[in-house]
Amino acid sequence: MEAGTEPPSGDPDHYGVLGLEPRASREQVERAYRFSLELYGEGSLATYSLLEPAEAEQQRARVRLAYEVLGDEQKRRVYDESHGFLPPDPAVLPFPSSAPTAPAAEIPSTLGGADLRKLREARGVSLRHIAAVTKIGVRFLEYIEEDRFEFLPAPVYLRGFLQEYARLVGIHPRRAADAYMSRLAGKK
Amino acid sequence: MALSVSEVLPVDARLTRRQIWSVGGGKGGIGKSLLAASVGWQLARMGRRVVLVDADLGGANLHTCLGLAMPQRTLADFIQRRVSSIDDVVTETTVPGLRLVSGAGDLLSAANIKHLQKVRVMNQVRALDVDVVLIDLGAGTSYNILDFFLLSDVSILAVVPEPTSIENGYRFIKSALYRRMRAAAPTATVRRLVDAALDPKSPLGIRTPVDLLSRIEADEPESAQALRREVAAFQPRFVVNEIRDVADVAIGHQMVAACARHLGVRASYAGFVHHDDAVWLAVRRRRLFMADAPTSQAAEEIRQLTRGLVKGESLGSGY
Repeated sequence: MEAGTEPPSGDPDHYGVLGLEPRASREQVERAYRFSLELYGEGSLATYSLLEPAEAEQQRARVRLAYEVLGDEQKRRVYDESHGFLPPDPAVLPFPSSAPTAPAAEIPSTLGGADLRKLREARGVSLRHIAAVTKIGVRFLEYIEEDRFEFLPAPVYLRGFLQEYARLVGIHPRRAADAYMSRLAGKK
Repeated sequence: MALSVSEVLPVDARLTRRQIWSVGGGKGGIGKSLLAASVGWQLARMGRRVVLVDADLGGANLHTCLGLAMPQRTLADFIQRRVSSIDDVVTETTVPGLRLVSGAGDLLSAANIKHLQKVRVMNQVRALDVDVVLIDLGAGTSYNILDFFLLSDVSILAVVPEPTSIENGYRFIKSALYRRMRAAAPTATVRRLVDAALDPKSPLGIRTPVDLLSRIEADEPESAQALRREVAAFQPRFVVNEIRDVADVAIGHQMVAACARHLGVRASYAGFVHHDDAVWLAVRRRRLFMADAPTSQAAEEIRQLTRGLVKGESLGSGY
């Protein structure tokens, strides 16, 4: 363990400081870091009444320290090994943290919009959340789930939408997109 | 062969039985009544049988939000035993499936109803033959308000993106949680510790529920275990109302994160509603904007919020 990368004793680990699970993807680490900096920023509406200015500064320092380690592939690997954390899982992106996961092997070879909706609802992820994070309009996401192929964009864009959707629902993005596209091809 | 989707998924948690929902917020003037009225309206449109209860006993105006005159009979008649059943003070509205128990606008002292009266109200509210009882709580953190909030299946906490409202929102959460913990405290020692947490001048310096739990853990590990379950079961749902700027949307996510990291409370972000002149214009006309301006942004957001609440969905973590 490199000097200066260990959280002070009694504190949550680096993942806890950023509100993450240990197997979080690199992109989630980036997002959580930016979110936490804003959360503890000077004048933050959400924390000024909970934390004294000195405590908020302390939190910012903890967030920066956590990111210094988790945002660096090499340092993160060393940190994970020394704490017994599993490395980030490339097949299943764990979001939300409490959701059950569907490994790539469990995704059927064809997926309809209703199947996607069931997977999403079982994980408690709303379309509004997906829309807010991905900037894809709720209406398009609804068209995907309703199989309203006539309103869907060209395949090259649709594939991108599907992968973003799958990533946030926590299923394998490429497998999910393939499964939906192959069903779509069969319908046309 | 791969499993089919339906085989690997749990059945989603739809609304299957009578539920009590409540809207609180600590601060007055942040749109709790309009929020309750519009969510109730939308639930009724979705086919649920709904009774709105105006428990803002000191400043009841839910009937006005719905465009109704002050009903002949109110909750005050039931509390003062002028009628025997809460069914006798339920009023029809213009929306099929949506009924109202109006608040006690004529009875200021009702804000201080006694414990036994409160128990009687709660028992009869639970017994109403409907799908959803939706309670509009008044402002503040009085015991009556906290108790109605705590007895709910869906506890909605409204805030607006302003410092005073957010401060009051946290105060409301802490007060409600401490009340729940005190009621569940297994020993006199634990009760004293909860009381110390409620007293900002206490020399024990317990500032948050997290501090309180560590202190109880040190003295009575078994009690701490029981209280942790109480804390885990307390899951308020934030609604950020009157959003004026896109950055305000993030306030809900940030409050959820702050609750988890600094209060040890598992809150969620149910949704947000933009400030919308259509709402204000409808209020002026004494009509509900859901009916008056169904295509407005606020009406669309209420529809999404309500659908999310029914399905138990939230807006995720914000990152």
